[in-house]
Amino acid sequence: MSRGLQFSLVIGLLALFALFYQGLWGDPRSIPTVLIGTTAPTFTGPDVESGQTISLDQYKGKVVLLNFWASWCYECKVEHKDILRLHQQFKDHPNFVMLGINYQDELPDAKKYLKTYGSTFQHVRDIKGSLAIDYGVYGVPETFVIDQQGVIRHKWVGPIVGQVYTNLTENVITPLLNNTPPST
Amino acid sequence: MMNRYILFGFLILVMFPWPTLAKVVDETELDVQVREIAKTLRCTVCQTENIWESGAPLAVQMRAAIRERLTLGHSPEEIHAYFLSRYGDYILMQPPKHGMNWLIWVAPFALLLVGGFFLYKEVKQWVRPSSSTPQQPPPPLDQEARERIERELHHP
Repeated sequence: MSRGLQFSLVIGLLALFALFYQGLWGDPRSIPTVLIGTTAPTFTGPDVESGQTISLDQYKGKVVLLNFWASWCYECKVEHKDILRLHQQFKDHPNFVMLGINYQDELPDAKKYLKTYGSTFQHVRDIKGSLAIDYGVYGVPETFVIDQQGVIRHKWVGPIVGQVYTNLTENVITPLLNNTPPST
Repeated sequence: MMNRYILFGFLILVMFPWPTLAKVVDETELDVQVREIAKTLRCTVCQTENIWESGAPLAVQMRAAIRERLTLGHSPEEIHAYFLSRYGDYILMQPPKHGMNWLIWVAPFALLLVGGFFLYKEVKQWVRPSSSTPQQPPPPLDQEARERIERELHHP
């Protein structure tokens, strides 16, 4: 085997190794979404608790946080306290709205979940799963932040806890409420 | 006598070709279209399964979404574009041939070619006749070795 071939083989193997090594440090929860920067799909659905119709259009001009959850989802329970804390932190801001989207769930189970773990904001039932498909949802929990112009600015797959909570509140929601671009 | 009738009735029941009574489900054109589109879309919560083959709730809902859109008069291309706009290239079972995606299409064949080339080179070296390089005659035996061979051959 000539030296040139040996050299190119070693370079190729090193490049492959570097590619795999880089992949080790990637965040598996960070799924690139094509929806960031696009207009949030509008939706209408019944409220889990009251059955009243809720529409995204009602909240035009506000920063809307959508949190997809289900009663059978373990990580939704993990984040639930922080989700309530997040709502508590911003609920008095006139331009902030938080909506839960109940995904692939039975109504009695969803109601029982909210009764058990508590709820301070409205939750829309995604009966046919079409709302989740419209938002390119893979699973629960998933959280989206829509700006005051109705554009999706942030998506997170997984529970909103710890550093994720801090990042979401300080670098995404607060700037958007001040009409400045988020820093993530 | 009664037992005979019961036995006869039982045999009739067992021998009757019940499966032939099973209904044959006819696929409508809509079903075929749903199937064809669903086969090209990836189940995003499964491992290398399309949404036609998957039983995951999300796949079931995606199939329903395809059916609904076809019923509303959307074309297969429009439905593909819809799913692509929601999930990106990941939703497609066959990655589109552009940008970095070319790597996925070309790399296996390129690696096969490179591997084949090195294999060819190695095998060629193994099967190359050793006579191509003139062999040196073995060094002559010294007297002591010659005597030892003689001894061992004739007096084992």
